[in-house]
Amino acid sequence: MTGRNTINHHPPEYQNRCCGRSPTPRLRPKVSHSPGDLRSDVSAGSGDPRRTGVSQSQYQKFYWMVSKDLLSECRSLRVWPAMLLLGVVVAMMFAMQTDLPPQQLRQIVGGLLWLTIFFAGTLALDRSFAAEREDGCWEGLLSYPVSPTCVYLAKLTVNVVALAALECVLIPLFAILTDLPLLAHPGPIITVALLGNLGIAAVGTLLSAVASTGKQSSYLLPLLVLPMVIPLVLGAAEATRLAVEHDFGPSWWRWVELLGAFAIVFVTAGIALFEFAVEE
Amino acid sequence: MSQTAEKYFFNDYLWHAVAAVMVTTAIAAIFLLAPTEETMGIAQRIVYIHVSVAWMGLAAFVLMAITSGMYLFRRDLAWDHWSRAALEIGWLCCSLTLATGSLWAHAAWNIWWTWDPRLTTAFVLWAMYSAALVLRGGVEDPHRRARMGAIVAIIGMLDVPLVIMATRWFRGIHPKSPQMEPTMRVVLLMSVVCFTLFFTMLLLLRRSQLRSADMLEDLQAQAEA
Repeated sequence: MTGRNTINHHPPEYQNRCCGRSPTPRLRPKVSHSPGDLRSDVSAGSGDPRRTGVSQSQYQKFYWMVSKDLLSECRSLRVWPAMLLLGVVVAMMFAMQTDLPPQQLRQIVGGLLWLTIFFAGTLALDRSFAAEREDGCWEGLLSYPVSPTCVYLAKLTVNVVALAALECVLIPLFAILTDLPLLAHPGPIITVALLGNLGIAAVGTLLSAVASTGKQSSYLLPLLVLPMVIPLVLGAAEATRLAVEHDFGPSWWRWVELLGAFAIVFVTAGIALFEFAVEE
Repeated sequence: MSQTAEKYFFNDYLWHAVAAVMVTTAIAAIFLLAPTEETMGIAQRIVYIHVSVAWMGLAAFVLMAITSGMYLFRRDLAWDHWSRAALEIGWLCCSLTLATGSLWAHAAWNIWWTWDPRLTTAFVLWAMYSAALVLRGGVEDPHRRARMGAIVAIIGMLDVPLVIMATRWFRGIHPKSPQMEPTMRVVLLMSVVCFTLFFTMLLLLRRSQLRSADMLEDLQAQAEA
């Protein structure tokens, strides 16, 4: 939801309550949410006999929230173009400054790629809650009978998609600029990218909600997220370097396991802590 | 001595005096009792302070995470006072760890900094402490500030094992079990105990200040209302 570009793409029973349209936004009942429970019954429509079950309702709400954010971005184009442009410019500057022989370039290409993804992706992470804070949209979001877990997972999914879109541009661009075989083995690169996206988005979504409550949200998010994702950036950079060197032995798997462990730990932590982050 | 005065004396002045004496003793032991190391010379004495502040920096981080969890569970600002005091003392200890470590590295390895696993972990801890300090500075509402600080502290605590794991897989040059003479070991132990007590006193003092500041704000709010 982004102010004038707001899209009324919400559950049918709440079509008229979007973004402050409701004259008196109802505060979300605290007692009805249990952290980590995607199926927690907070739906005002759960008594509707047409509904087949609470679980399905929550999954539908998740789908609506994801499509709302994606449609909003597709129509307004407020964040993704800037994110892609920043990624391209940073990649070009890195390439300009690292005119090295291929052997040396192999050692650093993973680190450069993942730092570029992180810094450009921060724009998307920052907007995921900063946009909701505009024009009373946050109050509207809180008034929906959607569990915090559902909101977190929807925002996480949108951020993963944003980072994937960024990588679709940056990985081929780095392959062209460095003349290294980044796309020679798409499977391992896609695995590393997906796990890396999930880890960055898991930490970034939670901390974006935290940072958006303060006065200095715009510059605080990278400061909060970067120290947290150092093991992830390190692991993704090393796994990418090994993939470029066609080394898929135990050391590659070790880094992939680290990325997987990071994603599991922080998605779980995000589900558990998100309710505290959005509490008013 | 009245009961109030006695309580005040034993709560504050006595323990502050003990901490001051112990730190003075530790510094005296470092410079007078510990023998000078053959290869590094006097620069080796940095290690006694370095180990002490590094240990305290890590302990403060654990304390901050535990008290943050307790705040989220109980919603009592008294837990946040502990958490905030641990954050500030931890940041101070972590900064001292990086500074003393860098001085020691220059004397031992002729470099100011290297991406050794322990150095990297110390740097990441320092960066997390700093980010949490900046975050807390931007939120005025005490409960919201406590909640945000608690989330960052818990996330940071979960991150530390992954940081250690990731950085350890790189090659490291940090000494793991330094060979020391028995006198050196005694001085190191004494230094760790004394500095731990000193920083614990600072922690208690800061926590007491935060509690008083909150009480004062409450009184001012009541007076205005």
